Amino acid sequence: MLSFTFRRLLIGSGMLLALSLLIFILLRLTPGDPIDAYIDPNVPMSPSDLAQLRIQLGLDQPLPFQYLAWLKEAVTGNLGYSIKRFDQPVLDLVLSRIGPTVLLMGSAIVIAVVAGIAIGVVSAVRRNSVLDISFSVFALAGISSPAFLSALIGLYIFSVRFNWMPSGGMLTPGAEFSIGDLLHHLILPASLLAIAQAALITRYMRASLLEVLNQDYVRTARAKGVYEFWVITKHALRNALLPVVTLIGSTIGLAIGGAIFIESVFNWPGMGLLLVDAVETRDYPVIMGATLVIGACVIVVNLLTDITYAVIDPRIKVG
Amino acid sequence: MNRLTRLSSALAVAAMMATTAVPAFTAPAKAATLSGGFDVGPGGFQGNFNPLAATSGFTWLSTYYEPLIAYDEKLQKVVGVLASSYQVSDDQRTYTFKLADAKWHDGQPFTAKDAKFTMELAKDAKSGSVLAARLKAVSSVEAPDDKTLVVKLDAPSASLLDTMTKVMMLPEHALSKIPADQLAKNTWWSTSPIGTGPFKFSKYVTDQYVELTANTDYRGGKPVLEKLINRYFADPAAAIAALRAGEIQFTYVDSNDVPTFKDNDAFKVIEGDSFVVNYLGFNHDSPIWKDLKIRQAVMHAIDRNAIIQSLYGGAAKQANCAYVADQLVPKDVDPYAYDPEKAKQLLEEAGWAEINGDKPITLLTYYTTPLAANVMAAVQAMLAQVGINVTPRAVDTPTYNSIVLNPTPDVSQFQMVFAGLQNGPDPGSINVGLNEKQIPPAGPNVVRARMPDLTAALDAALGETDLSKRTERYQEVCKVMNSKLPWGTLWVANRYGVVSSKVKDFIWTPAPGGGPYQAHPEKWSLAE
Repeated sequence: MLSFTFRRLLIGSGMLLALSLLIFILLRLTPGDPIDAYIDPNVPMSPSDLAQLRIQLGLDQPLPFQYLAWLKEAVTGNLGYSIKRFDQPVLDLVLSRIGPTVLLMGSAIVIAVVAGIAIGVVSAVRRNSVLDISFSVFALAGISSPAFLSALIGLYIFSVRFNWMPSGGMLTPGAEFSIGDLLHHLILPASLLAIAQAALITRYMRASLLEVLNQDYVRTARAKGVYEFWVITKHALRNALLPVVTLIGSTIGLAIGGAIFIESVFNWPGMGLLLVDAVETRDYPVIMGATLVIGACVIVVNLLTDITYAVIDPRIKVG
Repeated sequence: MNRLTRLSSALAVAAMMATTAVPAFTAPAKAATLSGGFDVGPGGFQGNFNPLAATSGFTWLSTYYEPLIAYDEKLQKVVGVLASSYQVSDDQRTYTFKLADAKWHDGQPFTAKDAKFTMELAKDAKSGSVLAARLKAVSSVEAPDDKTLVVKLDAPSASLLDTMTKVMMLPEHALSKIPADQLAKNTWWSTSPIGTGPFKFSKYVTDQYVELTANTDYRGGKPVLEKLINRYFADPAAAIAALRAGEIQFTYVDSNDVPTFKDNDAFKVIEGDSFVVNYLGFNHDSPIWKDLKIRQAVMHAIDRNAIIQSLYGGAAKQANCAYVADQLVPKDVDPYAYDPEKAKQLLEEAGWAEINGDKPITLLTYYTTPLAANVMAAVQAMLAQVGINVTPRAVDTPTYNSIVLNPTPDVSQFQMVFAGLQNGPDPGSINVGLNEKQIPPAGPNVVRARMPDLTAALDAALGETDLSKRTERYQEVCKVMNSKLPWGTLWVANRYGVVSSKVKDFIWTPAPGGGPYQAHPEKWSLAE
């Protein structure tokens, strides 16, 4: 087991290295560099004004040298400084964004799972009722609407039209921190982020439960006189949940993609907003640092999953 | 079954309606706090705290920092801020500033030594100052006493005062220990900066907002507001949502959003000159535009009035050279009236069919707003009518700059540009875009205009030491531009801000780069 973990860690570091090189090359192929992003074409400013800045940032050096210089610092944990925000180390910027993103995504997943399963169960049990049909329409709309569209519509309805929720941000500017304030800001973006995932879970849950409800053992349970409530929760739901649980795991990727849109629309100070902003300003160190940290997280999670599998199921051989 | 479905239905409905079920937890912001999107739009610069590195964002920076001099609120003349008065010597080479009695936010007095320290930092490119090249003409900065600053130049410069408005005074006692080349990376700017302005820096919540509190010792009087908050937004649309939701009281808005506020009593629309002239830039490195007749044909082919009326809602002025201000435009300029027949005839005379014919011509722009897309489509359709086939291509700013500022450019990528350049309040601003000496990499003359008489006219205007003759010189620049057409000049559009009617004595104007101009933030107030 130990040698397995060690080997996986080694492979993981190799992948991170390859990832950093790939991003480095892709970034340099993108037209424009951070200095180009800095010049406002409307303002009478000469490129020569910024020549010194280019030298200071090391952008005049040959590419392999730039990469090695970055790598040398990165292995010691120094990811450099943001180019747009001169005074802020990349590592601090990235670390301060992980919390908000995890909070947003985590809340969205909880909402999606609870709502998705509940709606799916109702739909299956009340098959072809008005409720079921309206939920099906909701699910179809949820699956088909891209995150940026539902985000804008949600923003318009709940924030601009009815003024129930703040239009963006994580906390009320100028106010003392409070959990209530945080929740008030969180609930709208998290719910909107949850829509697509919830819709997907609803459909799987409904289909899966319908299938199970027709099984012999369910009929047997009913014939024994078990209360319908227990038939569904104890006998049917448990079995029907299995494929849904697998689905939930695989839709987390969906949430990451959606989070980038939602964070931009709602100004949620997470990784998505940071990355979008960094790409727009060609903030190389931030893009490199953020992708590297995301990559490291994915590799570590995968490793943990593999190890957990090995622990749970001894049939999977490792080592 | 009933119990289960009732429970599940309740859960399902609760989950769907979760957004409506949570009551508003937050107490309304206190009346003495004004929140705004001060860094939204083209004049803003979110996330920059260092005035030396600021290409824009001066509206916000000048609420806690102050320059020696600034424009008045109409952007017509330069007035004293931290300088109570200033004098320019007859030979235009010595500028003497008399400084006002002011205190830094930490209580230390502001002196001429601070002013000298700041000027030297601004002149030093190592500090990351974007003003260094523009202050090159400054040969010495002296502080003969605590209240006097003397700036001497190698040669007269018509734009020195304009540049000086952007030099925000910095405290020597707080910054002198930091080496110049480490200054830009110092955390002082976003954690504990001190200025002399009506508000004091309180805190920055990364990418969310900046909070300032009133500087009760401000020499211009105690500010009426207690707090000033600058909220950050990913785009103007997000800021408008916050404005409508009542979370902020002010923001810049794009002109196509203005009509939705016009008849609403809860808001006041502020309109102002953008001081940015929009143009179709002919790439003079491309052989297709060599003949003046072809450039004239482009001017006659475009119905500028129709575009201004239908797309800008009438809020733009036609430009027949870089300027639209009455005193800068001579009476006898050619108005290039819309005349597609004449355009066709001019193209025929020039032999357009042989020069280019209907081969596609790339029209490159960095404007990505819906308004700009409509303008490009209209221009494309109008030019197509006379037989010029342009293909619009909109890219982001870094991509645009990397294409047009390239010292060895690929002409086919930008045979024409749709762009803008600041044309005021200092009319000399346009020099960099048209002077032959400013062709990249030296400067941003992206159209590669090589017109000796235009360069001569610009040089004469910039070097003119007699103030009374300067206007005449710029009229000459206008005349040359109008006849030689280095650009197909289009218009100068207005820009807009929207402020809640509850805000009183609020001064804002869509100044290029956000100013600085005298906005008197200490007088802003908020009605209950």
